[in-house]
Amino acid sequence: MIKRLASFTVAIVFLAALPKLGLPQEWILYALLFFVYLAMANMWNLLCGYSGLISLCQPAFVGIAGYTLVILVWIGVPFHVAIAAGGIIAGLFAVVISIPVFRLRGIYFAIGTLVVPEALRILFLLWRPVGGKLHGGGAGYMLRGMGAVSVGHYYWIACAVGIGSFFLIRLILRSKLGLGLAAIRDNDRSAASSGLNVFRLKLYSFVIAGFVTGIAGAVFYLYQGYVEPGGAFSIQWTMIPILATVIGGIGTEAGPIIGTVVVVFLDFLLARYAGFSMLIQGAILVGIMLLAPQGIVEIGRQVRDYRFGSK
Amino acid sequence: MASAILLDLTNTLLMGLLLGGLYALIALGLSLVFGVMKMINVAHGDLILFGTYFAYAAMTLLGIDPILSLIIGVPVLFAIGFGIQRYLMSRAFGRSMEAPLLIAFGISLMLQNLQQILWTPMSKGLTTSYALDSFELGGIHVPLAYLLDFAAAVVVMVFLSQFLGRTYLGKAITGAAQDKTAAQLMGINTGRVYAFAFAVSMATAAFAGVFLGLTFPFTPQSGISFLIIAFGVVIVGGLGSMVGTFLGGMVLGVAQTLGGFFLGPTSQMLVVYFLVLLVLAVRPQGLFGR
Repeated sequence: MIKRLASFTVAIVFLAALPKLGLPQEWILYALLFFVYLAMANMWNLLCGYSGLISLCQPAFVGIAGYTLVILVWIGVPFHVAIAAGGIIAGLFAVVISIPVFRLRGIYFAIGTLVVPEALRILFLLWRPVGGKLHGGGAGYMLRGMGAVSVGHYYWIACAVGIGSFFLIRLILRSKLGLGLAAIRDNDRSAASSGLNVFRLKLYSFVIAGFVTGIAGAVFYLYQGYVEPGGAFSIQWTMIPILATVIGGIGTEAGPIIGTVVVVFLDFLLARYAGFSMLIQGAILVGIMLLAPQGIVEIGRQVRDYRFGSK
Repeated sequence: MASAILLDLTNTLLMGLLLGGLYALIALGLSLVFGVMKMINVAHGDLILFGTYFAYAAMTLLGIDPILSLIIGVPVLFAIGFGIQRYLMSRAFGRSMEAPLLIAFGISLMLQNLQQILWTPMSKGLTTSYALDSFELGGIHVPLAYLLDFAAAVVVMVFLSQFLGRTYLGKAITGAAQDKTAAQLMGINTGRVYAFAFAVSMATAAFAGVFLGLTFPFTPQSGISFLIIAFGVVIVGGLGSMVGTFLGGMVLGVAQTLGGFFLGPTSQMLVVYFLVLLVLAVRPQGLFGR
C-alpha cells in the first residue's frame, strides 16, 4: 500500500515537473493532449465499460464546454472559473438530454445520442452569442486576452484534470455507485429487483461523464484558443475516447491510460499524414475489435499467463 | 396574397411528401439490417454516400448517367455489404453489444476519410441535365428530381417486399429475423442469410445514394446526416413494417420542408433532428409502432 502510494506520488511529481525540465515545447503539448484525452477516455470507459451506455454524444459536452469557456472569458470571467463553468453547463446539458435518450436501450441509445451533437452543430452555426464583430461575423470565436498565460500553466491544468479523472474513476468504482453499476452491468434485472434504481445510477454516471468530459473539452479549447462549431461538435471527440478505451481495454482501469498513450503517439506519428489519420485510426479500431476485442490489457494478461502458467 | 401563401404551403407539403419517399428509401436498408440482425449499422449513412460518390465517379470519369450507373453500382454495393457482414461483422456477433457497433463506427470513419481523400471536402452534386428540371401542376412547381425520388422509393419498396415474401432467400431472411434458432433447425444457414440481408440492405443503399445525389449537394461529411435521417425514419415509423417506414419518411420529409418554409433553409435539418429527439422523448416506440 505504502509502496503503491509512493510510486503514485513519484509519478505525479514527475508529471507536474515536466514543463520545468527544459523539454521541447512540442512534447509538453503532446503531454497536455494526453491528459485531455485521458480524461475523455476515462469518462467514456465509465459510460461504456461500467455503465453499459454507448454514448456517441461526447462532442456535445466538449463543444458546449468550449463555447461556455470562450463566451465567459469574453465577458470577463477568469478562465479558471470559466473552465469549471464549462464542466457544469455540460453536466447540466447531460441532465437535459437524458430525458429523451434515457428512454432508449443499448444500441438505440447510441444512435439517439448521435443526433445530439449534429443538432448542436447546426444550432451553434446559426447562433451568435457574443456580438458579430468578434471574428468576422462567423460562428467561430477566439479566446480573448490569454497571451500572458504560459503553456506550462495550461499543462498543469490538463495534468490535474487527467489525473483527477483517473482517481475519480477509482473512487466511483469503489463507491456504492460503482458497485451498483457493476451489478447492473452483470444482470440489470436482478439488480433492479434487489432494489437498485437502475435509471438513477446510469443517470449519475452520464452526468459525471458529461461534467468531466466538459472540463477536459474546456481545457482543450483553452489550449487551442479558438472554437468553431465544425470542430467543437466534431465526431473526433467521440472517436478519440472510443479508440483509446478500445485499444487499452474496455472496462479496465488501466485500459484508458495505455490506450491514450497509444492514441497520442499515433497523433504524433500521423501528424505528417493528417489527411489519412482517420482512415488509419478507423482501420485500427476495426482491427482491434476483430483480433483483440479486450485490448492491450487483456493481451498483457494472456502473455503473463502464458509465461508464468495460469491457474 | 393569402391564396399565394396557401399555394406555397401546398407546394411545400407536396415537396415534403415526395422527399419522404427518398427518406424511406434511405431508411429501408437500416431497417432491414436491424430487423434481421438486431444491429444498427452506424456506417449506413457513409455507405449510402459511397453509392453517391460511386455514381459521381461514373458520371464525371466515364460519362455514365447516375441512374444508369446503378447497373454497376448495385452489384458493387451488394458485394461490399456481403463482405462486411461475412468477414467483419459476423465475427463480432454474440460477443458483446458494442462490438458490431464499434466495427461499424470504424468503417464509417474509414469511409469518411477515404471519400475526403478521393473527392476533396468540397460540396459536389450529381448535376445531370434533368436534375434541375421542374414541371408545373396547377400552379405548383414540382422538381423532377423529387418525383424521381418518390418513384424510385416505391419501386424499390415493392421489389423488396416481393423479394422478402416470394423468393426462397427472402423467406429465409424473414425466417431468420423472426426466430434464429427455429430457422437454423429448418436447415437455414443463418450466417449466410445474414450476409445476404446485409448485401440487400446495401443494394437499397446504392439506390438511396444515387437519388440523394440527384436531389441534394453532398460532402464527405454528409453520411452522418443520412444516418440520422434513416434512424429518424425508423424511430418515427416504428420498426418492422414497411408501411411504417414509408409513413416515417413522409413525416420527416414534411417536417424538413415545413421547417425550411418557416425558419429558412439553414435550419431545416434542425427541425428534423428536434423531431427525432422529441419522438424519442414522448413516444420511443415510434409514432406508428405498437
